[in-house]
Amino acid sequence: MSARNDIFAAIRKARHDGAAPATIISEAQACSQAMKRTLPPLDTSDLVGLFTARVSAEKVGATVERVAGLTDLPAAVGRYIAANALNTDFALQPDPRLEQLSWDNLRPGAPLRRDTALAVGLALGGIAETGSLIFHSGAEAPTLYGFLPLHHLVALDAQSLMPKLEDYAAFASGLPVPRNVNLVTGASGTTDIEGVLARGAHGPGNLHIVIFN
Amino acid sequence: MSAPAGTFQERVDKALGNAQLKVALERTTGNARRKRAAAVEAWPDFVAARAAAAAIKDHSIDHMAYYLEMFERNALASGAQVHWARDPDEACRIVIDICKAANAKTVTRSKSMLGEEIGLPHALADAGIRRVETDLAEHIIQLAGETPSHIIWPAAHRTREDVAILFDQYHREKPTAHDVVSMVGSARKELREDFFAADVGISGANFLCADTGAICTITNEGNAELTTTPPRVHIVTAGIEKIVASTEHALQLTRLLVRSATGADLTQYTTFHCGPKRPGDLDGPDQFHIVLVDHGRTEMLTEMPEMLRCLRCGACLNHCVVYRAIGGHAYGGAYPGPMGSVLTPVFDGLEQTRDLPSACTLNGQCRQVCPVDIPLPTMLRHWREQSWRAGYEPKTLRAAIGLWAYFAARPRLYQLAQAVALPAMRLFAKGGWISSLPLASGWTAARDLPKPPGESFLTSIRKGGTP
Repeated sequence: MSARNDIFAAIRKARHDGAAPATIISEAQACSQAMKRTLPPLDTSDLVGLFTARVSAEKVGATVERVAGLTDLPAAVGRYIAANALNTDFALQPDPRLEQLSWDNLRPGAPLRRDTALAVGLALGGIAETGSLIFHSGAEAPTLYGFLPLHHLVALDAQSLMPKLEDYAAFASGLPVPRNVNLVTGASGTTDIEGVLARGAHGPGNLHIVIFN
Repeated sequence: MSAPAGTFQERVDKALGNAQLKVALERTTGNARRKRAAAVEAWPDFVAARAAAAAIKDHSIDHMAYYLEMFERNALASGAQVHWARDPDEACRIVIDICKAANAKTVTRSKSMLGEEIGLPHALADAGIRRVETDLAEHIIQLAGETPSHIIWPAAHRTREDVAILFDQYHREKPTAHDVVSMVGSARKELREDFFAADVGISGANFLCADTGAICTITNEGNAELTTTPPRVHIVTAGIEKIVASTEHALQLTRLLVRSATGADLTQYTTFHCGPKRPGDLDGPDQFHIVLVDHGRTEMLTEMPEMLRCLRCGACLNHCVVYRAIGGHAYGGAYPGPMGSVLTPVFDGLEQTRDLPSACTLNGQCRQVCPVDIPLPTMLRHWREQSWRAGYEPKTLRAAIGLWAYFAARPRLYQLAQAVALPAMRLFAKGGWISSLPLASGWTAARDLPKPPGESFLTSIRKGGTP
């Protein structure tokens, strides 16, 4: 017998499972609901405020600024470049909404390389509970833009914020499943030496989020 | 890479004699305990949440065949290739065959305890394939030629001073300083080229999501995505018990897993990987393989199903007084600490590993901090009973316990013996502690025994005094 058949035979021998799929589905939903009832209270009346507080907490360690609209992103990028003394060349996530912005004296055409200093991207959404950015990979959102640069600057639409992880799961269930879902919560870090947190392990050492309306 | 050598007793003696080890373990596990306590404090209903998390895992275990079939169907639809392995040899053979078919010279690997369990590092070495560990701690122990000593912090036995010596010796570009941040920067530079030179990237999985066919990795360094995205081939090795019903269940369990492991709300990178590169994608692997491993798990469905809940958070290690004294290598298996002492006898047989369930004070801390409420002390007792029944305990131990049982069943005789022993033991005490005792040198070599009171509890009660 094949390994697959052997394994399934052993599982079925140990657990005779005659439950109908409908029963299993309702059991699974009951499990999720039971967990939701235990969650700490979360005031979700101001998602931007909640997200900002979480993401700038020491545990997460990102920086945040708020601008009026996406058209203000180039100015925010310019300020970030100046503040961090970076080159005006940077890698821009190939999303048409970013590409059509007026970048003026900045140069967003740099290819993404293994030593890219700055990449600028656009998140699909954000999760306020944890301060996480959501990315779904695709032609307009390659995975590596969030992992190769030393500085990752991400634009986030305030309207795309959702309160909790469960809200993201519900949102995602209505979309095609991407190759990668990346929930990014702060800049890369490690506690592998003596449990002490050090930022900038292999991914970005700095995460800056620009929230727009 | 060398697996820990010698008997359990020899390894324990060596560990207890290593003062540096105690320092390293206390720094890492102490930090972990403090951060976990703070995270749990911020979740008032954490006890109820643990029960809910256990129910989520039990649900997927109860319907394991249903969900594994659903996972396989969805993974295949995404273009992934799914392989099944009964045991470690079969799993390693599948991985090596994929590597050979891809003509792989170098593989990068992102930390996976299942990979350690099945002996993948050895199998790659035997096949002549260069392995680059990309997780910082795994990188440290690869340089040191060691195996992991903790499931979350594989280099928990190494101090920052040890790491500085290793990086100075092996890194092409030496660290600019020996503080933690500079050494992390040095590792970043050292591994950068390898991420892009690798032909195959190998990862584990924290969850297998039945509803999408995606596998989920929970990491913090960014090395996992740099391991799985640039190479032509991504191979996932995972135990079949990682199956969960849905993305929602995976995220709900992640809340408890991460708090219990590091005290964070979520680690930096919660990533779901579903199939190979798609049309239009600028990055991603051309092939995506998932190797699903049984290795005793289907037997555990009957023998100890609660253990299949384990999320591999490491909280039971951090809170175990025995682990904190002897570290991970003394246990001899891929998984140390309380969860390891339950699992290793499943994988390696109880006769060879019967010391592990005995290396436990049964203080119950492990169960208290377990995010899925696994009754670890009960399971350890179960192994002790099995070992006793099977006759694995040495004759001297059986005789000693037989002697104790003889007295214990005869209360007058027991009290008489106690009345003789207590004053005799007091003669060996100095300053309230006994640091050596005839016939008990094995116990007192690494510990002191408190000076016993002059009379037993019963005697003092009979006299009407306070014990």
